[in-house]
Amino acid sequence: MRVNPSYISNLAASLNQTQAKVEQLTAQLSSGQRVNSLSDDPLAAGQNVLLLNQIQRDDSFTQASSLVQGQLQVADSALGGVVSQLTQAISLATSANNGTLNASDLKSISNQLAGVRDEVLALANTSYQGQYIFGGSETGTVPFSISGTTPAAATYNGDGNVNFLVTPNGQRIQLNVPGDKIFMAGNANDVLGTLNQLIADFASGQASSTAIADTTALSTAVNFVSQQRVVLDNSLTRLTAATEAAGNEKMQLTAAQTNLMQADVADIATQLSLSKTQQTALQSVIAQVGAGSLFDKI
Amino acid sequence: MGTISSAFSLISGALNADQSALSIVSSNVANANTPGYTREIPNWQENDPVSINGLECGTGVTQTGATSVRDRILTERLNQQQQMAAASGSRLAALNAIQALFTPDSGSTSSRAGDIGSDITGFFNSLSALEANPTNNALRQQVLSTATTLAGDISNAARMVSTQRAALDQEAAGMVAQVNALTASIAQLNGQIQSTSPGADAGVLEDQRQQDLSKLSQLIGMNQITTENNGLSIATTSGMTLVSGNSNYPMTTGVVNGVTHFFVGTTDITSDLASGGGSLGGYLAARDQDIPQVLNSLDQLAYGISTAINAQNNAGTNLNGVGGTGVNPANPSLDIFNPPVGVTGSAAAMSVLITDPNNIAAAGPAAGSGDDSNTVAMAGLADFAIVNGRSPSNFFSNFVTALGAIVGEVQTENTAQTASVTQLQNQTNALSAVNLNDEAVAMQQLQRSYQAASQVFAILNTIMTSALNLGVQTAVS
Repeated sequence: MRVNPSYISNLAASLNQTQAKVEQLTAQLSSGQRVNSLSDDPLAAGQNVLLLNQIQRDDSFTQASSLVQGQLQVADSALGGVVSQLTQAISLATSANNGTLNASDLKSISNQLAGVRDEVLALANTSYQGQYIFGGSETGTVPFSISGTTPAAATYNGDGNVNFLVTPNGQRIQLNVPGDKIFMAGNANDVLGTLNQLIADFASGQASSTAIADTTALSTAVNFVSQQRVVLDNSLTRLTAATEAAGNEKMQLTAAQTNLMQADVADIATQLSLSKTQQTALQSVIAQVGAGSLFDKI
Repeated sequence: MGTISSAFSLISGALNADQSALSIVSSNVANANTPGYTREIPNWQENDPVSINGLECGTGVTQTGATSVRDRILTERLNQQQQMAAASGSRLAALNAIQALFTPDSGSTSSRAGDIGSDITGFFNSLSALEANPTNNALRQQVLSTATTLAGDISNAARMVSTQRAALDQEAAGMVAQVNALTASIAQLNGQIQSTSPGADAGVLEDQRQQDLSKLSQLIGMNQITTENNGLSIATTSGMTLVSGNSNYPMTTGVVNGVTHFFVGTTDITSDLASGGGSLGGYLAARDQDIPQVLNSLDQLAYGISTAINAQNNAGTNLNGVGGTGVNPANPSLDIFNPPVGVTGSAAAMSVLITDPNNIAAAGPAAGSGDDSNTVAMAGLADFAIVNGRSPSNFFSNFVTALGAIVGEVQTENTAQTASVTQLQNQTNALSAVNLNDEAVAMQQLQRSYQAASQVFAILNTIMTSALNLGVQTAVS
């Protein structure tokens, strides 16, 4: 049988291969990454893109949600203030309607009601970070203004647009309620209109014939404001839930991504040790057999 | 009947034969490490006997020269395997350089730099964040800055890939001179072999020719055809003749559509070479198939994102209350990205046009500045099939998987082919390389037989002396 006389060069090639393997393993150990180039694991590399996309999206949503939470809380507390102001207005109007008050008392109540109205107006014009929150999309314009007297008229300068924040899983969370839907919803639910009417009812010192009906209307309007407040409360609840879900998802995905891409240190260390042993063995073999031929013995 | 003088001439023939065999062995030992050298074995031939008075007499031995021990089928198989291994090797080198541009993002901030996948996510995330507060200048700036990063990284990747392509192109063009030198040398050797050794193996000349063929196999894919009088024709894999007899047909290069093409005479053999093999084939495969695919994917990504985002931004109203061309065609355009003319070249040309963050049309048409409906629509494009039927992230994910798979495939191919080359090389070496142990044995054998023949000669000499002196010992010594 003939043999390849230059088989030592093959051994050298094997030595190079082991060397390359050692290099690759050391690179994995030092970077902590199992997949250091796309061809190491093409499927994992592709999955990694999608996982990171979702992780970063969850991350970004958590930040955006903290931005809007402030706005929703300000809107909620403004509406809370409106409800307590209106409750006060109702008790004022009710005491004025019981017929025991004299003209100056009634005028005083009318003035107090005007004070309540101004307070409600101020709350309706609440702004957050310089943006009016009850103006629909017209966040740069003061949403409500009052003009004229007995009865004064309220004007809405905003629009009916609603903003949404989209969660990573596609839920649309309502971020605002346009002011006209809360304060000037028309008919029985017209908060500012009813208040202006009541002010006019008692302004002369004589309770007007519509005073009782207007007081009842204000009670209805308070309920309506509370209902609108629930919309914002719902948004806040959904937002908190969505943020928590995003946080949980991020944690799970990060774990998955780490599993997918991270090097298994124990496994690599074992492989490295095997490669080193092989390298040493090959070196000894080359040193042993490299010497001489039959010519040495002649 | 043989005589003493015929024994003399017989044994001196044997001494000559041993000497020439020894010189063959010496030549083998001397060339033990010469690349392409094929070991030679001495040819021994028993001389024709003569019949004298009905008695057959041997007339000794003659050395009829040396024969190179080679298997041309094996060598040809080795050459062919070498062509494939060289092709996958050079293609792999090119692909490795390309995939290094798309190192997977480990998830840490530092590894995110330059990662297009994270850039895409970052850009759409900045739009999602703008939903929270559409009039906020910082958030608007963030959209512009992520858009700039995305456009910068995509165009940068496209430019780097193009640069690699140009480098491969030069590398490939530079090989032509080597190929031509080798084909010229083979043609010349053909001529020499046909005139000196038309009927048999040409020994050293054949060694040189095989060595040239082996070198040529590293460079290009080719077929060899043995012709009459021990000639050799060489043609490209699809049959374009490069060497025929003692003439060669040099390759020339010329630039067609911005890349180097290869010609023999006026025939364009570029695609022939690209599919053929050898380093040149590998470079051309990377240049003409792999890199254009990568570039096309980047172009589609850039085209899809730019077109969809531009259209959506133009469908909204900017912070100053001005709608884009989608709202009113007479208005100035609110293109965020440089609008691509067509898919081709859009990656390299991708850039951000607007400098004023107020020009991000966060609001819907005819809505107030605080509206975010158009932002919601723009951020929603992240999940829309805007890039060749896929969402941007999905498209990029598929792209990296496809690229990684190709590199992996070529890697496996190359490993297998290299192993096969090693195996064939082992077989060829076992047959044709100089084995010093064998030569030592041959040397010893020849030494013994030479010594024996010398001894025979000395004895014959004594016998002859005895015969001449007719028993008187002193006359002739």
